[in-house]
Amino acid sequence: VIEGLVLAFGVVLLAATAWCPPRTTRLLGALLFALVLGVVFRFALGMPVALVCGLLGAVVAFRVFPLLVLRRVLFLVPALVLLIYATTLLMYRAPGNPFANERATTPQVEAALRAHYGVPKSASAFFAIYMHRLLVEGTLGPSIKVQGRTVEELIGPAFPVSVALGSLALLLSVGLGLGLGIVAGLRRNTAVDHLSMFFSLLGVSLPNFVLGSAAMIIFSLWFGWLPVAGWGSLRHVVMPAIALSLPNAAIIARLARSGMIEVLQQDYVRTARAKGLPESWVVVRHALRGTLMPVVSFLGPAAAATMTGSFVVEVLFAVPGMGQWFVKGAINRDYSVVLGTAIVYFGLVILFNLIVDLAYAWLDPRLRSSGAARP
Amino acid sequence: MLRSLLSAFLVFALALLVVGFTLSKSTGRRADFRFSNGNEPKSLDPQLATGEPEHRILSALFEGLARLDARSLEPVPGVAESWEISADGKKYTFHLRPSARWSDGQPVTARDFCYAWRRLQEPTLGSEYAYIMHMVRYAEAYNTHAGQAAALRGTIPAAVTALLRAHAGAIPAAAVLEFSSKQNLDATLEGTPNSVLRNFLLRPAGDLPRSELSALPAQFELEGRRRAALYEEAKLHFGVDGGAYAADDHTLVVELVAPTPYFLELTSFYPLFPVPRWAIEKSGGQNWFLPNRIVSNGPFQLRQWRVGDHIRLERSDSYWGRKDVRLRDVDILPIENTTTSLNLYLTGELDWLPLQSIPQDLAPDLRSRADFSTGPAFIAYYYKINCTRKPFDDVRVRKALNLAIDREQITRDVMRLGQLPARYLVPPGIRGYTPPDTGIQFDVELARKLLTEAGFPDGRGFPKFGILYNTLESHKKVAEVLADQLRRHLHVDVAAYNQEWQSYQQSTRAMDYDLARAGWVGDYEDPNTFLDLWLTNGGNNRTGWGSVVYDRLLSAAADVEGFVAQPEFVLDHAHDGPALRRMTDAARAAAEPAQRLKSMSELRLALLAQAERILIHDEFPIVPIYVYVTQDMVKPEIRGFYNELLGSDGAKRPNLRGIHPLRDVWSQRDPYRESGSR
Repeated sequence: VIEGLVLAFGVVLLAATAWCPPRTTRLLGALLFALVLGVVFRFALGMPVALVCGLLGAVVAFRVFPLLVLRRVLFLVPALVLLIYATTLLMYRAPGNPFANERATTPQVEAALRAHYGVPKSASAFFAIYMHRLLVEGTLGPSIKVQGRTVEELIGPAFPVSVALGSLALLLSVGLGLGLGIVAGLRRNTAVDHLSMFFSLLGVSLPNFVLGSAAMIIFSLWFGWLPVAGWGSLRHVVMPAIALSLPNAAIIARLARSGMIEVLQQDYVRTARAKGLPESWVVVRHALRGTLMPVVSFLGPAAAATMTGSFVVEVLFAVPGMGQWFVKGAINRDYSVVLGTAIVYFGLVILFNLIVDLAYAWLDPRLRSSGAARP
Repeated sequence: MLRSLLSAFLVFALALLVVGFTLSKSTGRRADFRFSNGNEPKSLDPQLATGEPEHRILSALFEGLARLDARSLEPVPGVAESWEISADGKKYTFHLRPSARWSDGQPVTARDFCYAWRRLQEPTLGSEYAYIMHMVRYAEAYNTHAGQAAALRGTIPAAVTALLRAHAGAIPAAAVLEFSSKQNLDATLEGTPNSVLRNFLLRPAGDLPRSELSALPAQFELEGRRRAALYEEAKLHFGVDGGAYAADDHTLVVELVAPTPYFLELTSFYPLFPVPRWAIEKSGGQNWFLPNRIVSNGPFQLRQWRVGDHIRLERSDSYWGRKDVRLRDVDILPIENTTTSLNLYLTGELDWLPLQSIPQDLAPDLRSRADFSTGPAFIAYYYKINCTRKPFDDVRVRKALNLAIDREQITRDVMRLGQLPARYLVPPGIRGYTPPDTGIQFDVELARKLLTEAGFPDGRGFPKFGILYNTLESHKKVAEVLADQLRRHLHVDVAAYNQEWQSYQQSTRAMDYDLARAGWVGDYEDPNTFLDLWLTNGGNNRTGWGSVVYDRLLSAAADVEGFVAQPEFVLDHAHDGPALRRMTDAARAAAEPAQRLKSMSELRLALLAQAERILIHDEFPIVPIYVYVTQDMVKPEIRGFYNELLGSDGAKRPNLRGIHPLRDVWSQRDPYRESGSR
């Protein structure tokens, strides 16, 4: 009950940050920004540097940062704490615990293990230990199922792999999706439109492990062009990147198509045509911007999801990426791993949504002039 | 605008790709031997690790007193170049070879073993395999008695008080049972000489008079004090001058509580491997087994470990037998997807696929290939019955379930790899073990008759029940066939359902199931590894079933000499009393030590067979289904894999546990042709 109340209070507090007046937002946002900088730099560079960096950061943030960014920072920090707390509660509600094993452990052994890994029996006590570790010791805690390594040592090498693979896949899906979608939108209800939408439907409905397995059989076993699986050369990246990109490409194609159809009916496009501009100029200079809007808002969360890896694709192609830790952490009830992945994912979602918002203001002059930000 | 957006993105992506590759740049040359290990090892700390993937790596990195010879899987000299066993089989003297070295050049001494074994029993370390060495004097007391003493003098008396307060009259049987299992009384009081407590443990289920319960705390206190004293004694002596101790740098003396025929084999098992104290203490005991920190004494050294990518081992230059090690390096890949493993094998990227790395739905088709081999395994697949639930508390119902199942259909049509239908719990193939009579067969008539006797003629009135399995495709197939057979043969209403691993663990532990799938991999080649699961309230039992005679038979087998001195209870109650009595008398009469040891060991196996008989002939707390098969796919140019073992006695036996020591594996591949890319 108390845990529920704390949670509810946190949510209210979080909602309140949206109504915070601009001056206060500026001040609090800058302070929290300084705090985050301080915590990060303290473990990288030591206390004095961290203090200086934090103070400097606060001043810069207060003076230079757009209100939109500071509002996000003000939201981010309490939301992160709330996320950790809520995730902890949920983890403790799930049946089992990290020490439940096929072989029975005696109570003494379990107690020893719990003390060793800092996983007490109460969720709130664990939350306290975790926050202490995060803020004071600067670690995401030891993994219980991959012994001898901390969560940052697990995620650290895996994250760049996932980001590399994810950004390539994202690039592919944007290229492919926009191409298909724009062509389909321009040639609405023609054979080209139907064909590209058929491919898009295929991409949405075929799970990527099916696509991946098929690609593996064709390109590795039959033709022998690409290695089956693993990580270490450019040839290893091709198939997982394609498998990862197709579902997103399909969605982007649909968004771009409908965006294009809608934009082509707008007054400013008619004006452009009326001015006698060539059709290609109308499309590239005038219609494309509008077409991109829905795609960009999709790309924010999609980028966060793609760059944190996909369990299915990673397991299929034996890629040492980050996606596996989302699933393994949950399955093994490896609490610190669950929280570590959640924090990284949450951070990326916030970051990419911020980028999307900034991109919006850049793409649509109407949003820029009013100065309003999408909540 | 679009162009600038794209180019920015491209630069970003390329930069990150480069980062990704520098981090996972390959080690260059293809290793001499590459295999799929199914999973990332949880730990490479010999005293903390558990599991098959860990076993394969640790046996290559470290070496125990004995090691298993690849051809026979019998213990042969490892770090110890010779040993003597006392006439009573209770004292082992190991002579360590002076040439044995750690990878940092230090000699491997008897003290390293003392340290490792004491560490294994350290109560605060929490090793899951500590129990495996409890036959060594002082080990069990050091490992468990401090915690038990604390419970006996703290939480258990408190629970008694609470129980007395909660109930006005006699304590109901259910509350007593809950108290016993929650306080883990059987484990906590195991082997107590206190007659009051022994009688309490052995009393039949039923209401407990208040007076009897309120008398217990005083006895708990006494027992707690006794255990605390034993712990203190063990702490003082174990690994120092008792149990296992260094007579000098190269002589290790081990004292056993009772003769244990499999002890030599056990010294080749990874929990008993020596560990380097200085390296562990230097890194605070946390991550000493990671590359660049680890100091090991086996045929290979850990060169690289990229989580999720690969582990690379290299031949150790400091290993005493390095001339026999022919692989220069080994790559171990933690590939979880079995289809991916198979594809890697087929394209020549892997040389060996062990059991868990072969896709089971393709295995029957792979069977005809020359490089695929199967053989019986030391793994049992069975279902547990919740004996605390009605109507499964009725032995007739449990027997009916056992008789109504056509195991042949499951092995023939579902598993399709030559798995043996199981009419026993203990898989066949153990030297010297004769399985008892079994009541398990396929007999629908008898099953229906038993069900009628139990009050469910033609299945009428039988409550709907569930068959629980942990989520996995092959378990699902078996569970569905099982449910179908029970429906057709017994006309009962049954459904199969699944839970993911942790929930399944929770459900079986909390006894929240009717029938639950289970499997057990034998830890050592002895029936005991399958039979001690079913001790009353044992941690792995989880059926609620228990039998005093069964427990006594197992403790008699664990201490045959003690049994021979006082055999009456067991002989009176065991089924085959007269035959056992003859063996007991023969063992007692044997004067010559070797003869005595031999008849003791025969008697021991006979006692275990009697215990198994209770499970599969009288009481049926489980439904054995089949015996697993080992499966391997090995490239023809890889040598040193033996699926048929040749014992030192000239007898041929199957490789039950699928063990292939990497030390003795070699590759006939031309090293110069296969250079270059990985």
